[in-house]
Formats: sequence, structure tokens, C-alpha cells
Amino acid sequence: MRHEYGYGGRIARVDLSSGEVRCETSDRDYLLQTIGGRGLNSARLYDELRREVDPLSAENLLLIGVGPLTGSMLTASAYMTISGKSPLTGILGDSAAGGFFGAELKQAGYDQVVISGCAPQPCYLFISDGHIELRDAAHLWGKDIWEATAGIRGELGDNAVQVAAIGPAGENLVKYATIACNNSRMCGRTGMGCLFGSKRLKAVAVRGSGRVTTFDPPRFLQLCEELDRRIVTHPEYERRRDLGSTLLMKALNGLGILPTRHFQEGVCEYVDRISGERLASQFKVKNKSCFNCNIHCSRYYLTADAESEGPEFETLCSYSSRIGNDDLKFTLKMNAFLNRMGMDSLSSGETIGWAMECVQRGLLTPQDLGGLDLRWGNTEAVEKLLHLIIRREGIGDLFAEGTRSLARHFGRGTEEYALHVKGLDIICGDPRGIKAFGLTYAIASRGADHLRAEPFFELTERYDEAEKRWGIREIADRLSDTGKAVLVEHTERQALLTDCLTLCKNIGLSMDVLDFEFAADLLQAGTGLKFTADRVNAALRGIIDRDRLMNIDFGVDASQDTLPRRFTHEPLTEGGSKGQVVPVKRMVQEYYAVKGWDETGKPRGLEAQSPGPGAKEKKAGA
Amino acid sequence: MISLDPAKCSGCSRCQVHCAFFHSGAVGRSSARIKVVKDEAVGLDFPVVCQQCRERYCTKCPENAISVGSLGEIVVSNTLCTACGTCAILCPIGAIELHAEQAYVCDLCGGDPRCVKACTLDALRFDPQAKEVVRLAGFKKGSRGLGPEQKRLRFALARCAGIRRDWVSERSG
Repeated sequence: MRHEYGYGGRIARVDLSSGEVRCETSDRDYLLQTIGGRGLNSARLYDELRREVDPLSAENLLLIGVGPLTGSMLTASAYMTISGKSPLTGILGDSAAGGFFGAELKQAGYDQVVISGCAPQPCYLFISDGHIELRDAAHLWGKDIWEATAGIRGELGDNAVQVAAIGPAGENLVKYATIACNNSRMCGRTGMGCLFGSKRLKAVAVRGSGRVTTFDPPRFLQLCEELDRRIVTHPEYERRRDLGSTLLMKALNGLGILPTRHFQEGVCEYVDRISGERLASQFKVKNKSCFNCNIHCSRYYLTADAESEGPEFETLCSYSSRIGNDDLKFTLKMNAFLNRMGMDSLSSGETIGWAMECVQRGLLTPQDLGGLDLRWGNTEAVEKLLHLIIRREGIGDLFAEGTRSLARHFGRGTEEYALHVKGLDIICGDPRGIKAFGLTYAIASRGADHLRAEPFFELTERYDEAEKRWGIREIADRLSDTGKAVLVEHTERQALLTDCLTLCKNIGLSMDVLDFEFAADLLQAGTGLKFTADRVNAALRGIIDRDRLMNIDFGVDASQDTLPRRFTHEPLTEGGSKGQVVPVKRMVQEYYAVKGWDETGKPRGLEAQSPGPGAKEKKAGA
Repeated sequence: MISLDPAKCSGCSRCQVHCAFFHSGAVGRSSARIKVVKDEAVGLDFPVVCQQCRERYCTKCPENAISVGSLGEIVVSNTLCTACGTCAILCPIGAIELHAEQAYVCDLCGGDPRCVKACTLDALRFDPQAKEVVRLAGFKKGSRGLGPEQKRLRFALARCAGIRRDWVSERSG
């Protein structure tokens, strides 16, 4: 094997059914076209996943991908992406997490781990440099994530082992179960933890003694220092360091888009009791950070009955204003609980918010809900329900299927209040006051998600900059829908680039400190491969198109590129986004046009170039 | 010596990354001379680095490959070193360790430690005057048979006991 710069140079393939493990050399042309991380995972799924497989079957693939610069000097090059066909949505599923796992996998010498099959008995995968081993996990099955992580480190006799593990929710196949890296950095969305559980894979543990080298270290260092400088001189640096994503509680409230009582309102009257500021002043004890980051935006907190890293904004909002709860201590307790049990706070929070709104409207009664009194903010009932969901007991068994399925089960008008796109529950940001985000939720390839494009620019009011970049001033106006398709098409590539580099979205996108030219320079200095801004963009466009084609194979069509009725027909009634709805239909058509897709949302002329499953086999051995 | 305020450390490991890059042009824990220990269950982050201790355990090298430099730093002679591993066994806190037949220990970067520069939380401090002020005899006891990672964890947990007590006693609500 020749020496690789940046990349790990190897792909590990593990068949859990037979226990067979093999390694292959990463194909350089394939890497040039897919870059790494999410892009590499998506390409692998496109090339190798049979579209019709049941997500919970042994045939589904489970991919762990890192990028060319993961684990390097590059600030916050910490992430890894886990991908597969989503058990929750039935379409493309993936979820990224920061922490330290990604860097360790790279230092062990891998670009990707491809896991197939289903283990006959619970097991965990241990990777230590060239050594790959499936180990018995019978004694860990049933344990929560913190116990399992400690157990694995204990039996391997090495506290520095990085562990990505599932908890009871994943074992019990809750459709929105998560995978936690070292207890607290979550692959939260699309149910990748359920996919682990379906394969009887409790965890992946990694230790790498290798080094991430770069092609041109002095140049690479210079670029990394330039990025560091851009970050620490950013006008939001101190605020992001002190509050992290929790700053969004008050910020979104000020814009009138803080989900309150399940998006019935965008202004929460008790926001000061549940804000990031209150969390920081009363419960936070210190900053926490992902690998090699200079923002340190996460936090560690203690309350009387819980302690944990986190919560991030989505959890904070999901378990406070979104469900009508004003008790921050309860939110912090649930954050720690969900981290231990391995369940997505957003999707679980949406099932609860949906149920509470249905109760408020008289569509559901306590009898429908196993006797639980799901009034707004009834924390006791929420906690009971979460236990039922994790164990799939009683009413919890229905809730564990996700909001879309749950509402279909009950029917009688409750579907209208199931706030999801393509089966993925909507994130905490009311799209009525942030139009480009609304478009993003509608078209995102994994369902109602902001991270696929994170068009943060529309919140900046940088009108002159918008004019300069795109020739459309309104792009900097969050309430305007003009030009937002252009913005989303642009930032969707930036978001994918960030995921391919396995950077944090705060740095890769929201802070607007990384453009395509700079990324191409980093990639060239890092890998020595001939990445240029044009080549990078061609790769990104290709991945987005193929993700779309794959989703079309999974049954997605233009009718699903939309938003729940609330956001298109019910104007917000007060606050900074009063009177707003999202003209989603028009925006989606504009987006198709910008993409060069036809009016049904189908990419043109790609099928011939990329024949799909089977075609990769020839290449795989190269 | 390089000292740490664990109340400020976020565990980002920039110290470790910059150390490895400065010394080798590449990044990896095994080639860093400062290594961050984490215990996520109690919120602990603690970079372990040579304390230039009073006892100077590692200098009892059978090959006489280890000496003390003018800054108080440990100097390993690669020509004399046979990678026998005695230094790693003798160090009670896992601050010197062998990787690929080479001993890795803090050299204070010639008086301008990169780890301290890399820390953006002001958690790491360098005091050039402080040499041989830390006693590690208490950690020597019971360190026999432990690997470097285990010794680092033990040291870090002990050094964080105070801050942990503060957190628990001051927690609100």
C-alpha cells in the first residue's frame, strides 16, 4: 500500500453475519469524486445498496465515514458520518457527530467502515490499527450508553479507546434511536442507532496509534492558522464560545420563530427561564469541546439530579418550549437521560408535542394514550412516556415508530399536526420566519432538516454582500422568499462540503469562514490530490444529484418536497415573524430550476453515468 | 513547568494536536508529548505532561540515555536509547511513553511550548522558573504494573478531585 496523505488509505468491510473482515485500499479516483465523510458514504450507498431492502434487514448497509482531513491540524475536523437506509424514514439516512471518534478512526488508518449483515449474537466491533475484531457484547446488551462505554474501555484496559455505542433504545429498535460517541456526542437523526440494534451491534470501539500526515505541512499549517484567525476574530466568537447553540433560544424567540407549544406560537413568554443564558449562569460548570476545536461551544452541567455534557439547542428547545415546559432542570435531566438511553431528542420531542397538541384539540384523550395526561408541560407524564418508548411497552410501542406512523395509526385528523417531512420530524426553528430554512426542510435529502443547507446567511442582513455574491439583495432578508432557491443551492453544496471534510457546521457554514476556493486549497495541501474549487463543486453536485436519484428509487417524489400545512397556511400570530407563511410550492419549483432538475424534481442525464448497485464491484478490488 | 487549570480545560486536545504537529509534522496521540485524558462520565478533561518532578524517576535509565536539560526538561538521547521502556515503567504518571521504539516526553519546545500557545481557554500555563517543584512520590505508590494510559487516568482523576468536589457542593437546584 502506498503512503496516503490526509486520507487513512483503507476501507474496512465487516460482514456481521459471517464474521468475515477484510480491508481494501481506498480508490483515489473514487475519493476525488466523493471527497470523504458523508459524500463517500452516499456514493457507497448509491453504488452498493439494493434499494428495496427493508431497513431493518441484514442486507441494509451501515457505513461509518471520515474525511480527508479528519483528525488533522484543521480546526474542528472532528466529525464522522454514519449512513444507511433509514429505519425511521425509509429513505437516505445519515447522521454526523463530533467528539473524538472520527479522529481516532482516521489515526487507525481508515476512510470508511462498511458494515453489512446481522450478528447472530450481540457483539461490538473493535478496531485497533490493522486489527479488527468482533467481540462478544452479551454482557453489555441492556446496559445504557455510559455503562457500555465504561465497560468496553474497562475490558480493553484502555481509557483512550473511542466508543460509538447504542443504548436500550437502539437495542429495542426505537426508530429514532441514536448512537453516542463517548457518551455525549450524538449521531441523532434518522435512526442510525436503530440500525445498529437491528444488526445486534452494540458499539464500535476504535484505537489508532497512527498519524495523520499531510502532503505539504507548512502550507497546510498556514491555511489552518488562517482559519483559526478567521474564527477567533469573528464577531460572534465570544458568544458562540460562551453559549454555543443554546444562544438560539433567545435569538429565535426574538425573531418570533422559537417553537412554542408545538409550533402554535413562535414566541415563548417564559424564554428567560429556559434560555442558554440561564443554563450558562446557573448550571454550566465549564466548556466542553470536540477534537481540535477552538470555539469550545459545548458545556458540562450539573443539577441536583443530573449531570452531562450538552444540551445543544435542539434538545433544549424540544424539551422546553416545544412541549410547553418551563422547568429547565427537567430539560437538563432529560438530556442526560436521552444521552444514556440513546434516543433522539428531536424526534421523541415531536411525538410528545404532537400528542400534546392533539390532546389540546380534543383529538386524543388520556384513554388513547395509555392513561397518560399529556397536558402542556406535564413533565411527569413525559418522563413516564419516554420510559415506555425506550422499552416499547404499551403506548410507547406506537410512539417508538415515529410521529408519521403514530399519526397514521390514530388518524381522525391527527395527521395534520404531525410535523415532519418525509418521515423525519422537523427541527426547532419555525420556517415561517426563515424562508430559506423552510425550503431546506422541504428538499433536504434526509427529510425535515436544516443541516443539509443551513442557509444561515439569510439571518445576517448583509444586503451588500448578498448583492455581491448572488446579485440578489433579498437573500439577506429572512422574511423574503426571493432568491432563496439560489441561496439554498449554494449552501447545500457548502453543507455537503462541510460533511465531506467532517467539519463542524458552525465553522463550515454558519460563521461563513470557509469557501470553496479555501477548501480546495486545504484539500490540495492536505492530500496532494488535484482538488480545485471546480472539481470540488462538480463532486458535490454529483453527490447531491445521486442522493436525489437514490431517494426517487426509495419512493420520494415532488409531492413530498413540501412542508406540513401549518407552515404554508397558518400565519404566525405574534412576534417578529407575525403574519408569515412559507410559499413552499413556488420555492421548491425555483429550487428544481436552479438545480437543473425537471419539474418533478428529477436530475437529468445522470443515470447513464452512474448505473447504481453492482457497478461498484468491478472497481472495489482496484 | 507546564501547569493546568482543569476548571478551564474543555478537553479539545489542541495542545496534543499542536504538540504532535510541531514535533513531527503530523497529528496523532501516540506521537504527542502531552496527552489529554478524559472521563466523560464526570466531565473531566486533563492533559497530562511531564511535570519535571523532583524525583526524576525516568532518569534512572539503564543506558544513561536520559538527562535533564537547562530548562529542566527531560532530554532523551536517541543514540543511547535502546527502547527498553524502563523510563515508561518508572514514570508514575505516564508522561513518558514509547511509540515505534522512540521515547516521547515533553521537551518544553526549547522554552516556547506550543501546547500553551495552542490553548485558547488559558487553561495551560508555562512557568520557566518552576522546576522540580512537583512531588510524584504519592503517585509512584501503586503505579507498578499499570500502563501509561492507566497511569495518566489515575493522575488526572486525583488532580481533578478538588474541582469535582467544588462542582458537586455548589450544584444548584
